Amino acid sequence: MTTATAKLTSTQGYRMVADALWKTNPISKQVLGICSALAVTVQMNTAIVMALALTFVVAFSNLIISMMRNAIPRNIRIIVEVAVIATLVIIADEVLKAFLFNISKQLSVFVGLIITNCIVMGRAETYAMANPPGRSFLDGVANGLGYGSILIGVAFFRELLGSGKILGFQVVPQLAYDLGYTDMGLMLLAPGAFIVIGLFVWLEHSLLKD
Amino acid sequence: MSDAMKSLLFAAVIGIVCSLLLTAASSGLKAFQQENALVDRQRNVLKSVGALEPERKYGTDEIKELFAAAIKDIRVDANGQVLDADAASGLPLFLYTRDGQVQSYIVPVDSRGLWGRIYGYLAIDNDGRTVTGFSVYQHSETPGLGGEIEKPWFQQNFVGRQIVDAQGNLTSVGIAKGKVAEVIAPERKDHYVDGISGATLTGRYLSEGLKDILKAYEPVSRRFRDEGRIELPEIS
Repeated sequence: MTTATAKLTSTQGYRMVADALWKTNPISKQVLGICSALAVTVQMNTAIVMALALTFVVAFSNLIISMMRNAIPRNIRIIVEVAVIATLVIIADEVLKAFLFNISKQLSVFVGLIITNCIVMGRAETYAMANPPGRSFLDGVANGLGYGSILIGVAFFRELLGSGKILGFQVVPQLAYDLGYTDMGLMLLAPGAFIVIGLFVWLEHSLLKD
Repeated sequence: MSDAMKSLLFAAVIGIVCSLLLTAASSGLKAFQQENALVDRQRNVLKSVGALEPERKYGTDEIKELFAAAIKDIRVDANGQVLDADAASGLPLFLYTRDGQVQSYIVPVDSRGLWGRIYGYLAIDNDGRTVTGFSVYQHSETPGLGGEIEKPWFQQNFVGRQIVDAQGNLTSVGIAKGKVAEVIAPERKDHYVDGISGATLTGRYLSEGLKDILKAYEPVSRRFRDEGRIELPEIS
């Protein structure tokens, strides 16, 4: 390993991102945010937009809550956290409705439900309340990406196997259908997502054991 | 200052700041959202008459162009008479014209649902009896259950249903509690579509809503049944 990469991998920022993506991944390791992971992973483009929306919310809620952490009265801190998160979620929802209308229709209630996503609340309560703004923001981005990476991974397999497409483009050739290949309808339903997420969790746990 | 006062003050400040931000976001983005909603309604009108190819993606301008070319937006009074174009009262109605002929008329649907109103369009052929399409553009039903009303499989079933029986009495189109083939008597099959399992109430409310709406538009439908068209005022 060269000194440059050694330096990079030993920084705190790198470790935080790497941990959130892999060792403490919100979905596959902490099993949080499963509800939305089931609902929005039929297609990759909804999964990507959802991942971006959640990353935006968790990063900025961490930043704002961390900046106020010394001023927030202890007895109402959860209410304050929820108010900040809810405001950010509604702003994200309004922006999607204005500029990505079709995707926002497909995501329906699930953008609004980011408010109740345990990842956002969990990071605010356990990390942002105890750490400075810069690191809290990075923690938010890292956890958003950790959530998003699993979401996009699950959506990749569901869209490929369920409708033969990736990002809406046909990738399974017509020839295959002519020869008798059929799309796997199960992948379009929620149980398909459970199975794929389960396989991701199993893969990660068995790789981490070594 | 006591702790309780401090908490109250902090909560008040947070509340005001958040509401200011939300007001700014909502009013700043309203124009874009309304434009999107308008194009989405036009898209659904076109979808209900089958003027859009299901697999193709249409841009905003394409939708507006198609709508302007094929759809006429009119108002009718309670007797099915067409009102002046600028009349504020009366029932809204869309006409789908192709090759200079009115092919079908489109009734806006505003029905009760389980969790909120269901908004959509029901298109009826110029014979005044046969449904040619149904679409939903806004609802608050549960995704995966009542939310299936926005899915093609559900909406496709409306095509070809009859809103009147052989004697010409209004029957409306009902949503069956289960599969039409299993739960509806053969002579009434033309007036029902397959229901959604797990969404009995959504189906019941939508059936009632469609019936009320078709009752209100029955004078228009009768005109189409008797004359095959409605008299349009000259449009200069």
